[in-house]
Amino acid sequence: MVMPVSRSPRGGRPTIEGPGFLARADLQVLFDLLREDGRRLIGPTVADGAIVYDDITSVDQLPRGIGDEQSPGRYRLRRRGDEQLFGYVVGPTAWKKWTFPALIPLTRSTHDGHKVSFVPEQASPPKLAFLGARACEIAGLAVQDRVLIGTEFIDPDYMVRRANVLVVAVQCTTSASTCFCTSMGTGPEVTEGYDLLLTELDAGFLVDAGTPAGRAVLERLPLRPASTAEQYGVAATVAAVRARIGDPIPADGLHDRLLAQLDHPRWAQVAERCITCGNCTLACPTCFCTTLTQSTDMSGNAALASRSWDSCFSPGFAKVAGGSFRARPRDRYRQWLTHKFATWWDQFGTSGCVGCGRCITWCPVGIDVRDELNAIAPPVPLSPESRLVEPVAATPNDFVTAKVVSTKSETADTTTLTLTGVDPAFSHGSTGQFAMVALPGFPPLPISISRFLADGIELTIRGAGPATKAMCALQVGDQVGLRGPLGNNWPLDRAVGRDLVIVTGGIGLAPLRPVLHAIVADRRRFGDVKLFYGARTPADLLYRDELERWAQRDGIEVSLTVDRAGPEWSGRVGIVTHLFDQAAWDGSNMIAFVCGPERMMQATSTTLAGRGVSASRIHVTLERHMECGIGLCGHCQMGKYFVCRDGPVFSIAQLGDTFGREGI
Amino acid sequence: MQDQASLVAVLNSTWFASGLEPGIQTRLAEFSRPFAAEPGEELFREGDESKVFGVVIKGRVALRTHVPERGDFTILTVEPGDVYGWSALVPPYRATSTAVAIEAVEAITFEGPALRAALREDAALAQALYPRVLVAVARRLNATRVQLLDLFAAEQVRTW
Repeated sequence: MVMPVSRSPRGGRPTIEGPGFLARADLQVLFDLLREDGRRLIGPTVADGAIVYDDITSVDQLPRGIGDEQSPGRYRLRRRGDEQLFGYVVGPTAWKKWTFPALIPLTRSTHDGHKVSFVPEQASPPKLAFLGARACEIAGLAVQDRVLIGTEFIDPDYMVRRANVLVVAVQCTTSASTCFCTSMGTGPEVTEGYDLLLTELDAGFLVDAGTPAGRAVLERLPLRPASTAEQYGVAATVAAVRARIGDPIPADGLHDRLLAQLDHPRWAQVAERCITCGNCTLACPTCFCTTLTQSTDMSGNAALASRSWDSCFSPGFAKVAGGSFRARPRDRYRQWLTHKFATWWDQFGTSGCVGCGRCITWCPVGIDVRDELNAIAPPVPLSPESRLVEPVAATPNDFVTAKVVSTKSETADTTTLTLTGVDPAFSHGSTGQFAMVALPGFPPLPISISRFLADGIELTIRGAGPATKAMCALQVGDQVGLRGPLGNNWPLDRAVGRDLVIVTGGIGLAPLRPVLHAIVADRRRFGDVKLFYGARTPADLLYRDELERWAQRDGIEVSLTVDRAGPEWSGRVGIVTHLFDQAAWDGSNMIAFVCGPERMMQATSTTLAGRGVSASRIHVTLERHMECGIGLCGHCQMGKYFVCRDGPVFSIAQLGDTFGREGI
Repeated sequence: MQDQASLVAVLNSTWFASGLEPGIQTRLAEFSRPFAAEPGEELFREGDESKVFGVVIKGRVALRTHVPERGDFTILTVEPGDVYGWSALVPPYRATSTAVAIEAVEAITFEGPALRAALREDAALAQALYPRVLVAVARRLNATRVQLLDLFAAEQVRTW
């Protein structure tokens, strides 16, 4: 019976505020209402040893008291010992079976003498209700919405099928070992994309509506208001599910980490297990690749083009006349994984994975994407130097002050100032960041921080103009104004476990000096470290004591060169790229940090690319006119970036063909 | 007579001569002879007849030029794998700089006139060797241009 709690303002239909409670015994009412509305009900039922989605008409067809156990390559049903109807996790069926069927007729074509005709097939799908859609599955529907009807071209078949679906979501009160919705940000809480939402409790369901269509059904259900205890109970249960799942794939930065590992040996290793059966793509709720099949009658005059699911694991998927682009299983596995977790973002602004775990459970050889991702693109424990802190005096009207406690003349025109009494934000700044440095009467200038100290920073300044000359002339005890630390940092976390090559010229060593300090402080985390440093003359080399220490004591391969020298110089003379353009090293496990005049960085990145260092692993720091330091004044724009806010450190892949282009 | 096989192996270890066909390397080795210089030893002097073309195996050769009243400037150092004395192959066969060993140098050298005669007579040798010489000289030319840009000099503000 309907249990009115209050009257709506219009005085018409009975309604209740907040979620209602539906007794388990009354769930059949929901079934009947949905069918009265002309909907076919698709929901969970036991078939072939699994909980699948299929047409159902009665609550008796639900998997009462049945749960499941899932692990890589394994799925088993079990008795729960209770009356729960939704006490299982997602099974092998994905809802795309109804919204994006495995096989649909697409076009009928005929040949009549010289005439040809093509008639598109029109879908007239039934009205459906999806009963039991979980948070990850709703996210899966949203991903396919984005792909199939969310861009310029829409899939008409999907559009009409999808529009005919009412989603009755069920919030998860249990989880499987294969679940990772928490990492993908899709669950276990159901927060959107549902018409009706059920959460199962011991004696029934908490019911809420998410759309007018859902509310229209809800208002006809025999509900009572849910008690506060019931509402808290639901929240606590779902929270416990979240805690149980944990965070198996730290997704932060996964896109970049994964795309940086196209050459990882693990691709070949996982391909030795992968049998390229495509089960993962069939079970996946978001995979949308299809292929066309033509079938003709015996005369050859009438044909039907059908569309069916395809899989990027199929040997023929990437085949062209000259052969397959992805002939090897490792190529196909890499294609699938990088698409799901990385390039999908670039194409659709969302992850292609919703964390349902089907590809893990239903992989016949038990490959676990979580293990593969964590092996290929491991989350790197961020060292303090890789984390960005909140800047102080961020806006251009504000400054904090610091005091010069020592000055060191590095070269004829370059001085290093040691500042203390600075705001702690500066000490916690990160390699590659800069400070806006101000003296009264001079324009504030962006200066790279060349050393981070426990209670201060160092700035290495070349006296080129009036403001920098005034800064170089500062004496011990003088104060300066500071804002920062600003900008992004060298991706030192990505260098962990890799060989690192640092190429720098002139004053460009200053923003890289903290990188060398960080490496020296924890040398074992990095592979071979090479520093190539070019200067105008021997007298222009910065940090000469440190260069010697890094080479002698700290296991850093330091190579110096100058553009010109007198006879007293016994080191190299020539350009910095000649230090390694004929080197035999293999750059496939190498990351490069480059800082110097832009022309030199271009030559360097070209040379590094020739040594096998990919564009996504060559990082440069750009110099542009930075006035505000926070992306507001517009001076340092470069293409789609503001150098001060989005940089100054960029990968060559990020910059694309804007790097080195005249007049950008 | 130096062991020819070992000369071929040494030549093959340099980027200049690596990957040349075995027949060409053997032919080159016929003209070549090992050379050593002490630190400070002058290999040739700017303006003199260029008699020797060499490939540095070990050590460092400075190429210097003299500017009256300013003295000697090192404009380039020749490092292992690279060549010196290319002017021995190009008319007018005059050294364009002064070469000084600034470390103990080991090199493989070729007598200019003999090598030139061989290159005239042996088309296969010429076809194999000249592109390498061109690469070495072009690399040097390119570097000279970059040095000419004086990229690390103090900023010069130009607003046009």
